[in-house]
Amino acid sequence: MKFLTFSEDNQLLAQMITFLRSRGEVDAATSSDRDMPIEYGAGVVYALRGNAQYDSISAALKNLFESSGYDAVVIASTVLGREVAGHLSVGIGSDVAPELSSLEFKDGKAITKRWGYGGKTVIEETWNARVFTLLPGITDAEKNGSESTLKDIQLGDSRVEIISEEPKNLGGGNLESAKIIVSVGRGLGKKEGIEVAQKLADAVGGEIAGSRPVCLDYQWLSEDRQVGLSGKKVKPKVYIALGISGQIQHIAGMRGSKIVIAINKDKSAPIFEESDYGIVGDLYQVAPKLTEKLAA
Amino acid sequence: MVDIIVLVKQMHDLEQIKPDPSTGEPMLEKSPFKMETISENAVEAAVQLKEKYGGKVTALLFGNSDAGQIMKKAYAMGCDDGYVITEYTGNNHFYTSQVLAEKIKTIKHDLILLGNQSADSVTGMLAGRLSAILGEPVLGNAVSIEIEGEDAKIKRVLEKNNYYVKTHLPAIISVTQEINEPRLPPVMRIMQAGRKPINSEKTTVQEIKNFTVVSNKAPISERKKLIFEDVDKGIEEVVKVIKEEMR
Ligand SMILES: Cc1cc2nc3c(=O)[nH]c(=O)nc-3n(C[C@H](O)[C@H](O)[C@H](O)COP(=O)(O)OP(=O)(O)OC[C@H]3O[C@@H](n4cnc5c(N)ncnc54)[C@H](O)[C@@H]3O)c2cc1C
Repeated sequence: MKFLTFSEDNQLLAQMITFLRSRGEVDAATSSDRDMPIEYGAGVVYALRGNAQYDSISAALKNLFESSGYDAVVIASTVLGREVAGHLSVGIGSDVAPELSSLEFKDGKAITKRWGYGGKTVIEETWNARVFTLLPGITDAEKNGSESTLKDIQLGDSRVEIISEEPKNLGGGNLESAKIIVSVGRGLGKKEGIEVAQKLADAVGGEIAGSRPVCLDYQWLSEDRQVGLSGKKVKPKVYIALGISGQIQHIAGMRGSKIVIAINKDKSAPIFEESDYGIVGDLYQVAPKLTEKLAA
Repeated sequence: MVDIIVLVKQMHDLEQIKPDPSTGEPMLEKSPFKMETISENAVEAAVQLKEKYGGKVTALLFGNSDAGQIMKKAYAMGCDDGYVITEYTGNNHFYTSQVLAEKIKTIKHDLILLGNQSADSVTGMLAGRLSAILGEPVLGNAVSIEIEGEDAKIKRVLEKNNYYVKTHLPAIISVTQEINEPRLPPVMRIMQAGRKPINSEKTTVQEIKNFTVVSNKAPISERKKLIFEDVDKGIEEVVKVIKEEMR
């Protein structure tokens, strides 16, 4: 197999090169110029220059695909990556196997795994497709002592024009490797409640995380601290959920935790079905007591 | 004035899907269909644009025999017109994009609105595929939308940065769950919507399926589920467990 892999995020691209290099030959394309992933085993790393939007990137990948005899294009599942994958799939007359947590090839078919029904099930499928999107974190990036050739490609025009850019305030914590995570939900009720959770996290040397509404809607925490189907997939030794109802899209991000502890005032909250230990009570009463006893 | 087509998906009510205890497969018969979560945000966004700029909102739904009640909800929320393409057999973005594109080509529009990733299948493939099939640009992952003359402008939310981006109409805009809070239509509107006819038709596009499902099962949960209603007892136990793991 000969793969072309793309991401606008070079950390994800390094993961994908690492993942694909044991499955065949890999070239990579990136639209970022920070930390070029040239030590992970890609033959060529193409630097896409210009207005990198889904349409201009798709056109460049289509050119490479058609001129260089790749068997498959593997794209990191990000907002931009998914747009590129959909667009490119029409361009090269293929289907896309999307949102994969596992990808193997056998007898010309792809054997894949992805979530079904918002995370309720795992679907195992075989695909006849040339385009694939892989979930972030498909494997850890590992250098392999090689060095890729760098080539520049000038992107063509895009129909999307950037008016302005707004950098985000990202927390920078590393949830994926955290041993203990204290995760907060809408049950917190107010931004000031974060302090209560932070104290508990500090007492146990853990990281703080949150559900989607907490990170995206209310912005009580930075967006990179969201756990779930559309956020980070975490696997700490202990996951402490404060005021999180346990909707399936949240569970999909923390199912890999060794021990789950939930505090929720609603006895029938679905989070208790996914917990090892649960305390039915008000987080503002329970969490400070926990902090006190754990700090002692 | 903007004429908008809003794409509405139907899905099983995810909260009501339970795995069959013997096989682990989802028992879909017991979970009714409803309007997909982010489609509701797309309908709301379309109706808000109409209220601001004038124009007409047409809902388009590729569905099965349960689609009528979902289209009525779209009417009640403020869609003026709607088409149901029948004979939906399940998630297949390749085919769905072809079916929708065939119908879209027959409807005059300035904008196509849809959810960024559906709550059930989460593929996020439709915007890019429709863009390539229809030759219309996408502004993706919008948390706000404005129309300025011949242009659409959105705030686009990406993982590391946000952008304001624009393009010429006609265009496709995908929206996120955070763009709005979908309205609960008043009873009067729900009753009016119930009387409004639904245009139902079949597609002429032949179904192509490029995948075969090998298995589809709920992961087995092996959680202990020790739930304490006595808070102090619960705290005592949980402290023990956490201290053990911290060592
Ligand atoms: C495509 C898609 C992707 C999604 N991706 C994600 C994702 O990645 N991550 C994610 O989290 N969600 C995701 N969601 C959203 C998800 O469906 C839920 O809406 C969300 O997880 C709910 O967050 P929550 O539990 O914080 O809030 P709620 O569901 O509102 O739950 C709040 C809980 O707090 C409890 N509570 C209230 N007050 C207190 C108190 N004082 N003490 C103790 N408990 C209290 C309540 O009993 C309730 O159970 C996604 C949805 C879609 C459609």
